[in-house]
Amino acid sequence: MASYGRELDDHRLARRLLAPSAILIMLVVIAPLIFAFILSLHQAEPMVGGIEMKPVGFSNYSYFLTQSGLFWPSVRVTIYFTVVSLLIELVLGIGMALVLDADFPGRSFMRAIILIPWALPTVVNARMWEWIFSGSKYGALNGLMKVLRIFPSSHDAVWLGFDAPLAGVPVIGGFLKWLGVTKALNMIIIADTWKVTPLVVLLVLAGLQTIPGSLYEAATVDGAGFFRKLTLITLPLLKPVLLVILVLRTMELFRVFDIIYIIMQYSIRVVGVLTYEVGMKFLHFGRGAALSFLIALFILGLAAIYVRLFYSDAER
Amino acid sequence: MRWNRALAVKRLKRAALFVAVLAIAVWTLAPVVWLGISSITPYNELISDRETHWLPRNPTLANYRVMFDVSRQTGERFVYALRNSFIVASSVTVVCLVAGTLAAYALARLPVRGKHALVLGLMSIRMLPTIALVIPFFVIVSYIDYAFLNMGWEFHLFDTKFNLVILYTTFILGFIIWIMRGFFLTVPSELEEAARIDGCTKMQALYRVILPLSAPGLVATGILAFLSAWDEFLLALIFTRSTNSATLPLFIAELGSQYITAYDQISAAGMMAAIPPVVLALLFQRFIVRGLTAGSVKG
Repeated sequence: MASYGRELDDHRLARRLLAPSAILIMLVVIAPLIFAFILSLHQAEPMVGGIEMKPVGFSNYSYFLTQSGLFWPSVRVTIYFTVVSLLIELVLGIGMALVLDADFPGRSFMRAIILIPWALPTVVNARMWEWIFSGSKYGALNGLMKVLRIFPSSHDAVWLGFDAPLAGVPVIGGFLKWLGVTKALNMIIIADTWKVTPLVVLLVLAGLQTIPGSLYEAATVDGAGFFRKLTLITLPLLKPVLLVILVLRTMELFRVFDIIYIIMQYSIRVVGVLTYEVGMKFLHFGRGAALSFLIALFILGLAAIYVRLFYSDAER
Repeated sequence: MRWNRALAVKRLKRAALFVAVLAIAVWTLAPVVWLGISSITPYNELISDRETHWLPRNPTLANYRVMFDVSRQTGERFVYALRNSFIVASSVTVVCLVAGTLAAYALARLPVRGKHALVLGLMSIRMLPTIALVIPFFVIVSYIDYAFLNMGWEFHLFDTKFNLVILYTTFILGFIIWIMRGFFLTVPSELEEAARIDGCTKMQALYRVILPLSAPGLVATGILAFLSAWDEFLLALIFTRSTNSATLPLFIAELGSQYITAYDQISAAGMMAAIPPVVLALLFQRFIVRGLTAGSVKG
């Protein structure tokens, strides 16, 4: 560098530094995205040595929006998965963070082990819970239920079953069935929540650190109890962190694929699984691309909202 | 009397806290412990009654030994998958760190036209569902391979580690640039200016001043990149076929099918796939937490 008689000016230096990343991103994200859009406007099927493309306008999109009997149910079940997972993650995450924020011996140990589920690869997580939920006498959850005397020893629950929970209850049962909720889906929500809650805990813990302790002292002097402190100080001041978690997790939950596909293959069709099925199992590349575009648009829309809320908050 | 009551309340609170901590520990560790127990249990004990059997009567390392027995198909596939995972994840980490650090520095410190839009664009890429890119990737890779085939070249992308590294890199790179930029922004620019006055060029200031100061950030982002690449499943599912490039997640997903419950082997393979990321997470816990919060809270 020193051998350069004159230094590069800042603009040129910036361009050089950005070039490797820019080229990679252009080639492997932007170009394929444009190509995906073109694909989505065609009926594209594989043939020897490539694909056969026939322009069909926006009919791939309208197929899913109006004709396909699978699209809207998959949207409903994805929304259920997203909303329920989020609620559990937030409640559990905040609760666990509050506990781990307290002063007790072994706190740093607890904060370390909490990372284990998060670090576990998704595939291992899926297989591990599949084994825990597995039916008949050897499933760990069934075993636990028997040890706790919740189940009689002759009873084995099929945890990953396709029956709708609360099916007998009048309005709720019908609604859950319409959403496409099954017992298996609820069990997968538990498995997914187990893995992700630590992330929520860490982010909330980081947020808790920014709240000045003097606020709590003042509240204690004023005679506020635990719940008043929680609702009047902690939660309002955690709002920026909670917002980030909320939107970040919404997007990740909406595009869920791995855990559901590994445990249930195609039998719980969230939008990610449906796209994979259409595009990569039936090899309708055009339709698959259209479907993935619909999901991407939805998620990018969420990202736009995220960025807006986030930036207005950060820059004030 | 009043003193006693205050003491009782305090003790009750301690007890409640203790119970809550214990509950969190059990909730967090029980599934993994069960995975560990399963991995050292012989198959016939594993599928017996849980009411009487939780711990193995004849604990065995046979399930682990099978994985490293390269003379058998399972072992051969496992060893290759382990190797592929290490090669792919490390390569992705190196490429992401090098390209990402340069780009992050430019975005944090230098004048770039449309900087704001670029940073937002990077974030959007992170938000993009993998599945949205999988289909065009697949078609493009098939085209390229077919073209190579026609030209008579002995080269193809499908089922190679090289292909996986490129695809993974791009997904992870945006995230890396985003976090590194956050770390660079926390280094006071006065330090850099001082280095410049002492005669450093911008690049020298980056290498000698900013990088050493953001070393924890580099470690954190490197580990996050490694973990993301180690974890990836969908791209591996589509773009790998043989031991040439199949990674550990794919191997574990394919171990046993719907009809075979080879959970003894799945548990052993799962434990081994979990060890590198869990050890990294435990060793570098503080850095990772900082990285995660720098990436998502600070912006």
